[in-house]
Amino acid sequence: MHELSMADAIVKTAIEVAEKNDAQQITEVTIEIGELTLLNPEQLKFMVGVLSENTLLEEAEIIIEAIPIQINCKSCNYEGPVPSDDLDHFVPIVNCPECEGQDLEITKGRECNVKTIKIEKEDEDA
Amino acid sequence: MHKIAEIEIQHDIMVANKKLAKRNQRILDKSDVFAVDVLGAIGSGKTSLIETLIEKMDYKIGVIAGDVISRFDAGRFENHNVPVVGLNTGKECHLDAHLVEHAFGDLPLDDMELLFIENVGNLICPVDFDLGSHIRMVVISVSEGDDTVEKHPLIFKDADIVVINKVDIAEAVGADENKMVNDVLILNPDVVVIKSSLKTGEGIDEIIGNIENFMKE
Ligand SMILES: Nc1nc2c(ncn2[C@@H]2O[C@H](COP(=O)(O)OP(=O)(O)OP(=O)(O)O)[C@@H](O)[C@H]2O)c(=O)[nH]1
Ligand SMILES: [Zn+2]
Ligand SMILES: [Zn+2]
Ligand SMILES: [Zn+2]
Ligand SMILES: [Zn+2]
Repeated sequence: MHELSMADAIVKTAIEVAEKNDAQQITEVTIEIGELTLLNPEQLKFMVGVLSENTLLEEAEIIIEAIPIQINCKSCNYEGPVPSDDLDHFVPIVNCPECEGQDLEITKGRECNVKTIKIEKEDEDA
Repeated sequence: MHKIAEIEIQHDIMVANKKLAKRNQRILDKSDVFAVDVLGAIGSGKTSLIETLIEKMDYKIGVIAGDVISRFDAGRFENHNVPVVGLNTGKECHLDAHLVEHAFGDLPLDDMELLFIENVGNLICPVDFDLGSHIRMVVISVSEGDDTVEKHPLIFKDADIVVINKVDIAEAVGADENKMVNDVLILNPDVVVIKSSLKTGEGIDEIIGNIENFMKE
């Protein structure tokens, strides 16, 4: 599965930003994952943890937030969220909640976003 | 004393791949090369179909063959005397735009008209990764079972051409190929769906005609 390459990109992004900001440590990373990305959040978190060893990220708490699915239905023009309670993680089948149709455009839910990091740095006045 | 700061990043890893994919397409367009990303299940007939197209289509063709570890498919294409780059993905389950850009360096793009990119056999992982191709052709076969489309809907939503292959053995494996066609059209009414058999030649001319239609667009 491609959790490993995603985790690698996430770790690199976080470290790059942290270094630019003269961080001594990253304490928290928040990652948003679309519910349709076919990425398993638990696996992703685990891989980020493994790849963080001996980096600025080593001690960081990894927070994963889900981004709900949004659609535009081409059949009935419904625009909005799709309940994902009964979505199978590896076989996401999206139906329009209004007309049950499947001819729809997915506008949200396919992203994998490094949203924020919290860093610790030397206080300039110290 | 330590200071804590929160930094907004908002860096979408998927968008990063999409940007690379756009760049790939610009590189292809500069050399006037039309690229087809060929995706599909393991063993569905991707390599066989591309081999047939190489023999039947009258263009200067090149191939990028993605394989998890072996160079097996790349070797098959080399027998057809076309430029081939084998891309080993290692443990990865899909090609991505960055890998494909590397392959461009080993292809005579200026002396090519049509590029087939055989993705790793997998209906799930390649879905999220644009390569910069002009169209996506998904190849599945009746031997995966006629519930394949229902089980993997996302890959069919982004497809331009869907090939339902091995219809010659549909009866033998107890699969209803027309159900597969209908399932695809429910998910994506605009897509071209073609039933084919590389054993009998059924559907091949139609596949070629449709690729050529997209090339003209
Ligand atoms: N009966 C029948 N067999 C086919 C047809 N097309 C391909 N095959 C056979 O199916 C097997 C797999 O074909 P390949 O072309 O290697 O499939 P692939 O999708 O490239 O496979 P991977 O690269 O391993 O994912 C081969 O033995 C082909 O000869 C067809 O239309 N009918
Ligand atoms: Zn994967
Ligand atoms: Zn609807
Ligand atoms: Zn193959
Ligand atoms: Zn590189």
